[in-house]
Amino acid sequence: MAATLCRILLPKQGWLPFTQCVRHGSKAVTRHKRPLHFLKQKLMSVTRYIPPPRPAPPGAYPRQTIRDQEDDPFTILVKKKMKSVFQESKMIAVVQNSGSTADEMILLKYKLHKHGITVKFFPNQVVRSFLKDSTYSNMAPLFIGHTVLFISKEPKVKEMLSSLRTSRHMLLLGACIDNTLLSAQGVVSYSKLPSVAVVHGELVSGLTLLTSQTAAMLQHHPAQLSALLQQHVKQQSSEGAPKAQEAT
Amino acid sequence: MFSIIKAAVGGLTALCRVNGHQQGLLHGHLKVLAAGLKTRDIPPDHSDVVLPDRRKLKFVNKMPNFKNAKKEMKNLKDIQGPATTANAFTKGEFAIVAMGGGYLHWGHIEMIRLTINRKMDPKTTFARWRVNGPYKPVTRKGLGMRMGGGKGAIDQYVTPVRYGRFIVEVGGKVELGEIQRIMTEVAQKLPFKAKVFSRASLAAFQKKHADMEQNNQNPWTFKEITLGNMLGIRKVLSPKDLCHNGRFAGKFHLPWRV
Repeated sequence: MAATLCRILLPKQGWLPFTQCVRHGSKAVTRHKRPLHFLKQKLMSVTRYIPPPRPAPPGAYPRQTIRDQEDDPFTILVKKKMKSVFQESKMIAVVQNSGSTADEMILLKYKLHKHGITVKFFPNQVVRSFLKDSTYSNMAPLFIGHTVLFISKEPKVKEMLSSLRTSRHMLLLGACIDNTLLSAQGVVSYSKLPSVAVVHGELVSGLTLLTSQTAAMLQHHPAQLSALLQQHVKQQSSEGAPKAQEAT
Repeated sequence: MFSIIKAAVGGLTALCRVNGHQQGLLHGHLKVLAAGLKTRDIPPDHSDVVLPDRRKLKFVNKMPNFKNAKKEMKNLKDIQGPATTANAFTKGEFAIVAMGGGYLHWGHIEMIRLTINRKMDPKTTFARWRVNGPYKPVTRKGLGMRMGGGKGAIDQYVTPVRYGRFIVEVGGKVELGEIQRIMTEVAQKLPFKAKVFSRASLAAFQKKHADMEQNNQNPWTFKEITLGNMLGIRKVLSPKDLCHNGRFAGKFHLPWRV
């Protein structure tokens, strides 16, 4: 309010023209690009062309369609070898090799060789394609990354574990022992089991215990035996009598 | 000499093999030469090309035939922005295309005519002008004259050329590889940037620009900002910027802009 009053009452001190004459002459120079106004420079940089993100180069991702490798003769040879290995050996352990040096590997091989365990390397793709068709198909998830196979004709788990304990870069993933797939924990518990002969002995002793007791009883004095039998009959009759009463 | 004999005997052994007679003696001691097959591209079919009677570039007059020549203003708009005429192929297959604006003198036109007429093969090739002869007068004051005293006399006539205008079109029973050297040689001497295009390459060039415009990831476009007069930006823009959308700076084309 006060402002409007002031504007009306106070005399005008100065006057600015609403339209200003701007000369736009002399643009005859066409040899070079004329310097841009600063605001126009800003406008040009704001509205610059931004290309779409570059697509992934060809071969960056694995192919969608997996080529059949049946035609490759080397693959067939490796598969044949694997087949024989899986048939002959009773223990097949899958071990992850996380960067062990050649020296360590040689040492480990030497240690394992003492117990008749051999170390085998197979390409993972071939292993997976072999396992897919065989009865060992459940082993396929173990074959990821750098994997090594420990193979022996006898299930020498204890020896294998003891030699693995010393090598830091080898990690047991799982094993197939006597056609049974075991995890790493399972392999350890398997190694703690007594040997087959001991278990057999225990079973046989358990079975023979009863018969030996009977034989020993028969060899005692006949009076004692008759007393025992009498007692047995008594017990049977006492148990049988109430049943008979119930039946009648 | 020896190789010829060897080849001949090799042919003989091949014949023998065909007939079923195995010559162990010859077979064991001679290296049998086997001829391979080389697959070549099928040459382009020029059977439908009709060559005109006059295949060379015509002579262009140095100045138009006016009764009374009139001095004109500078009018630089005739070289700014994209060309609206003569920007597509008519009869030829290859063309020199202006990649910026500029003025062609009679000297340039004569250079083009002489170079192309001299080097092209008129039995298989023809060339056509796509620009008119010089028609725009350019005035100049004489050397050593004092300034003032009005506009100078007409010095020469020029042909204004805008971006995208065809200068010369070449066609006939030729491929680009045969004619490209001559045309690039000419294009380099022109007073503006010029390029040699074939029908396919020009279409690809235009498609590339259209794709750039289509796939621009920048949400802010020159057109939107200027049409909306955001932050009063029209104050610093010329009316030509509204139709060119910042793709031209005077006579120059900015190929990185969309």
